[in-house]
Amino acid sequence: MHQNVDLVIDGSKISGRRGETVLDAALRYGICIPHLCHMPTLTDIGACRLCIVDHIKNGRSKVTTSCTLLVQEGMVIDANSERVRGLRRNIAELLVTQAPNSRAIQDIALRCGVTEPRYEFRSDDCVLCGRCVRACKEHYQAHAIGFVGRGQERHVEYPFREKPESCIMCRACVTLCPMSITPCDGPMKSGEGYFCGKCASLTQAPQYEAGDCTRCDLGEGFDCSGHL
Amino acid sequence: MANSLDTILEGRRSQPHQLIEVLQDVQHDHGYLSREAIDTVSESLGVPVMEVYRVANFYTAFTLEPRGKHVITLCKGTACHVRGANPLIEQALGLLDVGEGETTENGLFTLETVNCIGTCALAPVVVLNGVYHPLMTPARLRALINRVRREEEEGTGHA
Amino acid sequence: MPKIASFAELKAFGEQITADRDNEAILMTVCGGPGCQATRCHEVAAELRKELDSTSLNGKARLRVTGCHGFCEQGPIVVIDPSNIFYGQVKPADVKEIVDRTVRKGEVVERLLYVDPSTGKTVLTESEIPFYKAQTPTLLSQNRRVDPWSMEDYLAIGGYAALARVLAEIDPEKVISRIEASGLRGRGGGGFPTAAKWAACRAAHGEEKYVICNADEGDPGAFMDRGVLEGNPHSVLEGMIIGAWAIGANEGYIYVRNEYPMAVEHAKQAINQAREYGFLGEDILGSGMSFDIQVARGGGAFVCGESTALMASLEGKVGEPRPKDVHTVEHGLWNRPTTLNNVETWANVPAIINNGAAWFAGMGTDNSKGTKILALTGEVKNTGLVEVAFGTPIRTVVEEIGGGGRNGRAVKAVQTGGPSGGCLPESMFDLPVDFDVLWEKGSMIGSGGLVVMDENTCMVDIAKYFLKFLQDESCGKCVPCRIGVDRLLEIVTDITEGRGRPEQIELLKELGETVAQTALCGLGKTAPNPVLSTLRYFAEEYEAHINENRCPAGVCTELVEYSIDARTCNGCGACLKACPYAAIQGRKDKLHTIDLELCTKCGICLTTCNDNAVVVQ
Repeated sequence: MHQNVDLVIDGSKISGRRGETVLDAALRYGICIPHLCHMPTLTDIGACRLCIVDHIKNGRSKVTTSCTLLVQEGMVIDANSERVRGLRRNIAELLVTQAPNSRAIQDIALRCGVTEPRYEFRSDDCVLCGRCVRACKEHYQAHAIGFVGRGQERHVEYPFREKPESCIMCRACVTLCPMSITPCDGPMKSGEGYFCGKCASLTQAPQYEAGDCTRCDLGEGFDCSGHL
Repeated sequence: MANSLDTILEGRRSQPHQLIEVLQDVQHDHGYLSREAIDTVSESLGVPVMEVYRVANFYTAFTLEPRGKHVITLCKGTACHVRGANPLIEQALGLLDVGEGETTENGLFTLETVNCIGTCALAPVVVLNGVYHPLMTPARLRALINRVRREEEEGTGHA
Repeated sequence: MPKIASFAELKAFGEQITADRDNEAILMTVCGGPGCQATRCHEVAAELRKELDSTSLNGKARLRVTGCHGFCEQGPIVVIDPSNIFYGQVKPADVKEIVDRTVRKGEVVERLLYVDPSTGKTVLTESEIPFYKAQTPTLLSQNRRVDPWSMEDYLAIGGYAALARVLAEIDPEKVISRIEASGLRGRGGGGFPTAAKWAACRAAHGEEKYVICNADEGDPGAFMDRGVLEGNPHSVLEGMIIGAWAIGANEGYIYVRNEYPMAVEHAKQAINQAREYGFLGEDILGSGMSFDIQVARGGGAFVCGESTALMASLEGKVGEPRPKDVHTVEHGLWNRPTTLNNVETWANVPAIINNGAAWFAGMGTDNSKGTKILALTGEVKNTGLVEVAFGTPIRTVVEEIGGGGRNGRAVKAVQTGGPSGGCLPESMFDLPVDFDVLWEKGSMIGSGGLVVMDENTCMVDIAKYFLKFLQDESCGKCVPCRIGVDRLLEIVTDITEGRGRPEQIELLKELGETVAQTALCGLGKTAPNPVLSTLRYFAEEYEAHINENRCPAGVCTELVEYSIDARTCNGCGACLKACPYAAIQGRKDKLHTIDLELCTKCGICLTTCNDNAVVVQ
């Protein structure tokens, strides 16, 4: 039996299940708070910071990630305040300029309002969302890959750079990677700081309202609302 | 005298939370963390190799390769920075022909930098084999490195 | 030593030590702090010991090697009591004269006395030295009264009396309310009210609770905690035991940087002593309370100063912070209620119990009570550890205690609070040392680092320095800190290398705000402070770099060129020998020149030339 708590997200009254996160509750109701590192059934680590919301408490609001915030009775959440949208846009801009070839990340960035990124493109591809690492560890207890190093050095690697015996070749790491969606064939390449606009036309259609689930590439590919 | 892995692990087996303490001791006694040591520690404490490898790579206290006979540590804390740590680093890099964190080909020197060793009042500070040298200048650093080299050539060097 | 089993026994024991020492004659105190160790104080101490052993002084004079006195600039330091004569920069060769003249005959060795650089006058006693005079010594001054290895020394200055009183007569709730009344706030940087933390942890559900002492002093330019933990480890233990009593914890940890081997050693031996005397272990002082402390060595990661990362590290894991939506006072170490305070905070606790909350609250400002130990470093005459009451103007610290700028150069700014803090210009030096005031001005008191900067310091370069530091030390987990700080660094690097564009100023501000609001942990949230504060107060320096391709301080190498002045160069060849890149040519006694192709602008020739012939333009 779930114990339910009432909360308000973007003005809609929602019944949350005690112990679930604000992001999960929002997704159950079809309210899409943009997110990248979050995956149903994996521990949330709050790494990509896209799912930030304003948590309004005693008249004061605090920016926090909805994937690590548990629902509470009477909670008031604004996932689309001007401040949050501005900050989210800037984070998406950091992400998309780091991995400009990921169609999933482009899609998110456009939806967050990034049109002309102000930083030079890098083709790092991996944005360390950690979906692969957590799946390997939590779904398969394989511990075959992990985050190694810190700061700029942080990357995903096998121990001693060799595939260990614990890897069962399940390929979960590949399927869950935001890069695994067929990359966009538009001119989104290093040194060319603009978008092709194909995804933009998809997300900026008149019927799109902030907060609506847009059935984005990432969600479609990875069963984002699979726990509906 | 270096303690064997067995001695270091004694009383700590199957205690995952002892990982960092154990690795500290291995690093201290053996000079670095070999692949064999990491495998043994992983098995003994019950921590996946991946996690041990991660810890070994995360903390600056650990090195995965043997270090040189003499370790020169250049502090680049704020106080050292404003009092001229950069020329010291340049001087050492130039003289030893290695990068930060690297060991000279002859295995004589390892050049490390540290973000602060807490002797800021006497900045800039250079540490040679654990001995602090305060108020360093490029000229004194040169003399220090050359002295070690000379002693090594004459066979009187000791780490 | 048998265990001390009660308050009464402790009192009697303390009185006995004091009585035994009453008739002791001359006391020679040698500072054994890290600064003095770097200047070979142990050789001075060894000479003194040899003199004591070899001459007939036994019984007439005693030697005590203590922790840091604070005045590192003057090390090695020897103070002769009761006359309080202060000898600075003592060499082993000076020892015989000190013993022969001062200890035996009561004479003064003039040449070893301190000379006040501002007046040129010699100063006889320690207490008259301006560096010490403007301070409010409460914690730090105890360092010179105890040998960190001696439990007896600590008991002689009233050590563990606060603990004994608490256990005998003060309920845990009352301890917390006294700490609350004192107004004590966390000294590690956050400035969170200590009592609130304790109360929440006490109220949290759980059989097992922990107290942790954060001694992972990672801020560059900070060494306060090492000064206290190395110099007076028992004061930290006593504070922790009192805290454990108040919270209901039965296990404690001291998390020490491994870069501080002496702090590790002193903490460990103090714990062993405290166990022997019965201040740690089962049934402490007959109160029924059981509590013990272990030392854990940090692995060298700045981020582990953050509480959740520190706890992960204590659990043997990678030191990555986790979101703090759930507080560590409820779910901390091993998911159990945990109170974490830093070294200086813990050391304040026994003093508050001994002297009363009103005494403590009587020092400081409205919202910042007590004293703060600062690490005064950089381009200032007197460097070292200083302790001032909150509310003391920054100017007093820099000018009176610090003696003003070095080498006759004008002081331009101070950087406070390490990489999380900011830079304040000289025009704001009348601001008080205060948690909230400095925060409002875009800086913070942080753990207490205070680095003085002068006209030779480039503020854009300082912003770059801290961003580089933070980029190295970020755990890399969250996007704003890992990529955001990296982009900030990229832009600032552009500016220091002559590729800056005017619109980048606004981008720096906007991105800085984004990182500050959205990063996962405190390290990331405060990471933009150095760049934002320098943008706020030293905008003209950014503009000079961007609009005029000029570094006013002559620091940013891409914007300057080195040359040798033909009129001044005497061809001594010093620069030629010094240049690590063989970029200087010239024959003996002839004009030397710099090959700009080979020159990396490292500045070594500049520091080497005795005739100021190297010119930076």
